Amino acid sequence: MNNKVTIHQLATGVPGLDAILGGGLPEFSFNLIVGTPGSGKTTLAHQIMFSLATPERPALFFTVLGEPPLKMLRYQQQFSFFDAAKINSSIRFVNLSDEVSIGNFQQVLARITAEVEEYSPALVFVDSFRSVMLEAGRHEQGMLNLQQFIQQLGVHLTGWQATTFLIGEYVTDSEPPPVYTVADGLLSLEQAVSRNSMVRKLQVLKMRGQETRPGMHTFRITEDGIEVFPAAIVHDDSSRPHDAAEPRISEARLSMGVPELDKMLGGGLPTGYSMLVAGPSGSGKTILATAFLAEGVRLGEPGIIVAFEQTPSQSRTRTIDELVRTGRIGLINTRALDLSIDEIVQRLVDLIDEMKATRVVIDSLSGFELAVAPSFREDFRESLFRMIAVLAGLGVTVLMTSELEDRYTDLRFSPYGSAFLTDAIIVQRYIEIDSRLKRVMAVVKVRSSAHCDEIRQYEIIDGEIVIGCPVDDYEGILGGRPTQTVARDLIK
Amino acid sequence: MNHETIRRTLAQRAGGDADANAVAKAAISTWHEASARLSPVIGGQGIDVLLRRSLHVAGKTFPALPEPTHEARNNVLLANLQMRLAACETALAVEASNALLVTFTELMSSLIGESLTEHLLAPIWAPSLPASDQKGAP
Repeated sequence: MNNKVTIHQLATGVPGLDAILGGGLPEFSFNLIVGTPGSGKTTLAHQIMFSLATPERPALFFTVLGEPPLKMLRYQQQFSFFDAAKINSSIRFVNLSDEVSIGNFQQVLARITAEVEEYSPALVFVDSFRSVMLEAGRHEQGMLNLQQFIQQLGVHLTGWQATTFLIGEYVTDSEPPPVYTVADGLLSLEQAVSRNSMVRKLQVLKMRGQETRPGMHTFRITEDGIEVFPAAIVHDDSSRPHDAAEPRISEARLSMGVPELDKMLGGGLPTGYSMLVAGPSGSGKTILATAFLAEGVRLGEPGIIVAFEQTPSQSRTRTIDELVRTGRIGLINTRALDLSIDEIVQRLVDLIDEMKATRVVIDSLSGFELAVAPSFREDFRESLFRMIAVLAGLGVTVLMTSELEDRYTDLRFSPYGSAFLTDAIIVQRYIEIDSRLKRVMAVVKVRSSAHCDEIRQYEIIDGEIVIGCPVDDYEGILGGRPTQTVARDLIK
Repeated sequence: MNHETIRRTLAQRAGGDADANAVAKAAISTWHEASARLSPVIGGQGIDVLLRRSLHVAGKTFPALPEPTHEARNNVLLANLQMRLAACETALAVEASNALLVTFTELMSSLIGESLTEHLLAPIWAPSLPASDQKGAP
């Protein structure tokens, strides 16, 4: 017989937050929400409150000095979650500023407990607890013990079966650490400005009794409130049984929409693979990506394109526009310059779920890097790795394009050192033959699969890639200035 | 906010054939009730400020309304308001009281939105008010 207590978890109603918390908020927990001014603490509290409060599960929101309640209501009602009809039926506001300014610490505590006992709320919010302390402290001999206040409150509110949130200002180094040991949960919010971008981050420093997702998670505040983008987790599968840990080598292969290329790949691109198409500007990377998606549509395999263009439809092909317009492929296009990779991953995963997509194109990694907030660029490669891992976990096949500088002295496939992250690589280059620029393409790698090693010429005719013969009478092609081997042989 | 609702509420509270004194009492009791409903939400200080601002704005059209001074506390201000309304002609007392409450609700609406204001104040505009609703009034 299992006599252990079952802790129910409450869904916060904040997209992405429950995943970070490890499933939701433990019922009757005592939580602190701390953060710098403007980091979104009150918004987070209100969003949770409006989502959870019902007539059967009423909420009490104590406002203290700090943000005047008039202003709080004025700004909070701009969010779509704010439901005026819930006020006084499911949500009761109690303003403590009068008690706080004339009373003392014990009176404030007494007022809170009296209101809680009278109303029996399931949810209690105090905004902000530091205001209570600082103001109450002015009327006492010396500063009050913050820990004592929080502890008493914690004991009382948990006893009254209330899930509690104390909202506080930023954490300082001088803050007594024991304050935070009293709390069951501790959420820290911060905002960081780097160059022209502002990035908001949330961290669960503590949540008793459940496994939370470690690290900083980015979030965004929109008219719908807060949306958290949990940092993508790459699951460690080293402890799994051997067969489960095997790389997913699929028998099935996807057609690229260029028949000759499928042959070069050894019969198409294995499903679930990630492919990098690297080439200089104008070499036809986007056209290849278009063919890949259009072929998917033709075969009933929905696709998604992630584009990062500063001007709409400039580099997208007409075929892509048409497919997007008719809803046959999904488009994620962003011109924001303050994205986190996790935000893109979240949007992508949602759209993959929605469209049941199996093909994903990221066009291009160069644009992606620009769109990511400067503070994330340092981690770009690591984040890219996590993104590819998440997409591989979903079983989708990914094609990424990468702009390649026209350097003929070295052979690189991507400026991000991302080549090793991908399962397959196609490289495109220009070569000079008879004073003309010709395009050539080669399959550099297809993991665990035989593939063609030829360097093939190709042309772009009516927006389609037409692959021609191998360039077998030239050498030094990848150096950009090939020499004709046939002519040399004849001289010999 | 429906201006007619406010007018009807005041008339009902003052009673039929009311004199200026009854009108003044009705205006003050309505104010107290609004204050009791709003102060948990926006705080006592918020209410005080809104009363002063409403008197200031409505006072431009109705000089009979007292101009709020820094020194006067709100209970003094309200006593003064009641006294001055009671000293008016009945018709003027009705119009001034009405203007004060209309100004107040419009001010609230401009700050926290019309729907929230209506939601919070709806119970006091009810045609008949149960006595139990008035227990929160100071």
